[in-house]
Amino acid sequence: MSALSHSGAGPWLGQWPQWSTQLTQAAFALSVFLYYRYQPSPLHGQQFVKLLKRLLTGPGLLALGCVGLHLLEVAAQDEPVFSSNSLFFTTIYTVNLGLFVIFLARTNYAWRALVLFRASPRLQKEWTLFEVLLGATLLFRLVGIDPPAYIGTPIVVLLGLFGVYLSGHQKWVAYLSQRDKWRAVLLQAGLLLGVLIFVQYFRVTQVDPQLIAPRPQYAFLLLTAFFSAFYALMGLMVTFFNLPISDIVEQRRNEILRLQRLTQIIQRGQTSGEVYRILLESAAQTVNADAAWLDLDPAHTGVEASQATLCLNFSPEQARELRARLTTYDLPEGEFITNDLHLRPGFEGTLQHYRSLLQLPLRGLHYNYGMLYLLKEEPHTFHHEDLSILQTFTGQAVLSIENLELVQTSLANQRTQEELKIASQVQDSLIPKNLPTDNWFDISSHSLAAKEVGGDFYDFLHLPGRRLAVIIGDVSGKGVTAAFHMAQMKGIFHSLMQENPLAKNERDKFPVPSKFMAQANTALIHCLEKSSFITSSLYIIDYEQGGFVFARAGHCHTLYYHAMREEVFYFESQGLGLGIIRNDSYEKHIKNQFYDYSPGDVMVIYTDGIVEARGGDGTDEYGEDRLKLRLEESYFQEAHDIKNFILDDLNAFTSGHPIHDDQTLLVIKFKSAQPLP
Amino acid sequence: MKVTAQPSADTLTLLLDGELDASSAIVLDTELAKPDILNYRKVLIDCAKLSYISSAGLGVFISHLQRFQDANVKLVFFNMQEKVFNVFEILGLDALMTIVPSLTEAEAA
Repeated sequence: MSALSHSGAGPWLGQWPQWSTQLTQAAFALSVFLYYRYQPSPLHGQQFVKLLKRLLTGPGLLALGCVGLHLLEVAAQDEPVFSSNSLFFTTIYTVNLGLFVIFLARTNYAWRALVLFRASPRLQKEWTLFEVLLGATLLFRLVGIDPPAYIGTPIVVLLGLFGVYLSGHQKWVAYLSQRDKWRAVLLQAGLLLGVLIFVQYFRVTQVDPQLIAPRPQYAFLLLTAFFSAFYALMGLMVTFFNLPISDIVEQRRNEILRLQRLTQIIQRGQTSGEVYRILLESAAQTVNADAAWLDLDPAHTGVEASQATLCLNFSPEQARELRARLTTYDLPEGEFITNDLHLRPGFEGTLQHYRSLLQLPLRGLHYNYGMLYLLKEEPHTFHHEDLSILQTFTGQAVLSIENLELVQTSLANQRTQEELKIASQVQDSLIPKNLPTDNWFDISSHSLAAKEVGGDFYDFLHLPGRRLAVIIGDVSGKGVTAAFHMAQMKGIFHSLMQENPLAKNERDKFPVPSKFMAQANTALIHCLEKSSFITSSLYIIDYEQGGFVFARAGHCHTLYYHAMREEVFYFESQGLGLGIIRNDSYEKHIKNQFYDYSPGDVMVIYTDGIVEARGGDGTDEYGEDRLKLRLEESYFQEAHDIKNFILDDLNAFTSGHPIHDDQTLLVIKFKSAQPLP
Repeated sequence: MKVTAQPSADTLTLLLDGELDASSAIVLDTELAKPDILNYRKVLIDCAKLSYISSAGLGVFISHLQRFQDANVKLVFFNMQEKVFNVFEILGLDALMTIVPSLTEAEAA
């Protein structure tokens, strides 16, 4: 290093203080480096290529400036004024030195951004140390004493090694895409060239006798130049040797991206058709297939048979032909690879140029959705690794399809719920809200369905001559089916209880209960399924006669309180449910029962949901006996209070158990005659 | 609910064990719907272990009633618990079906 020492100021300028030149040089270098040190980082996000490009088009061009000035200098040699003019020569040298310092500062701080990209705190500290040590080399010349070679050289070599160590930090290369890597290689090569141009220039001019400037900050320039060049070289090498690996990385990344695309489809609410299409395209791209087709199973995918084949670079006719040939081979149901299709008999003709075939089923939880076929023109091109990545694809596609189905099912369920709600409202409107009122009786009612809609019903109808028809019924089964029949029964009630104008006497104008039941039975034959039946009781209460007539068609026994005898009992009468016998013989199985009531009598009418309500350990039934006891305790109250008394007891009995059948309870209390207002 | 079939020369005895409700009605219906059941002269239903019958359970017997009558196969219930018999009685089925106290009467019927 000291061997390169220069003699100092030339005779032309007289005695130029060498220390001032050196101080200026050092100050310039220091200020330029410090200026760039505190500039915002030249790296924005992960735009590494942009950074390299700006570096080459900015400071990189300074090298061209250096070459330009040198050429000017050479050209000026011919002019007598400039020829052998040390001042001119030295001026150009000084300018070039300045340009070199700027170039080095820019490059060094660009490399800092790259070295420190996602760096650990330790590396950041190491970099700062490197900077401080580099700065310290500026002092070599300033203090005026050149360290002897045996001290200076090891220091410079050690710092050089430090630079080499820092040049190993090329993490950013991994973040380059395949295309950017090529660009980075070229840009770094350009920068290396820039450094070389400067170095070459100074190597030549340094030994030129015309140079009258003092020696530059050799150690500092050498080290920064070395680091600039070495980092660029390392980066170039790393990028270059990364190229083949990045191909695989790129491929994996694309596979992940395609998988993501498949996954996102469901979130965008796309159709199953789109899922299949994307599956076909992604699968073909991933393994670089020349052609592909997808056979969907119309039974499980809901697609039309005519659209069950999706093709890529392939026609449905070709697919049909190839499939027909494949079936003669009796291929396995699952995954299958053949890499020598062309050698197998039966595959001659138009399809002969496809030599490799991969077959993969779309496996669902319960069945296969279809079969995916991929074709390549080159033989021996499908591998078992292809199968595994493709299986991930088909798995993801099937998952998407099944999710789509789930979404659709839940939507359908929601609709059904809505419709049930409407049905519930409709049924509610079928139950009489305004109970009949008159001064000779008092009625209270209660009804509760086990599900949204139920099979219990009751209704009232005023008949001429101060008569009242009361009907109660229970359709076997629960839910929607029962609700339909309940509505039917209500219709039958209202249509049969019409006045018959042909009747010979007043009594026959309306059907007696047994007649009504027989007619209702006939009407129901055609609309009740074989295993369903309806139980019902119809009461026609005649105030003027002070009595009622009723028929019980398999319905629960009527509970009665007889005021004069002060006795509670069940009416024991015979009668068959409706819809059990489906011919005219029904009439033989139903009877009318007449009864005279007196004021204060109470009639309790109900469905089996009351007496069969479960309580206790879940097998106990509420029962007729308990119901009878409750009436014995409450007969003296108003109808409304009797009903509540019974219901409170029922609720206490069933508490903690879900109601499993519809419940209906009617309480009718006969009153003594009050004069009409 | 368990249904056990015990065939003999001209009689098929079905033992019902448990609660006959909407879900178990299907089991019984499958048994009664078999075509060869009409080759028997008599089908005896042993109700000794039948603890409960719902309207769906009754529906199964009702739906096959006509078919048995048309084929001249006698359907006889026996050993019925009182609670279960009440259900048959309220619906009026006791007048329509043969319900006898024990096996002896059932075989004689």
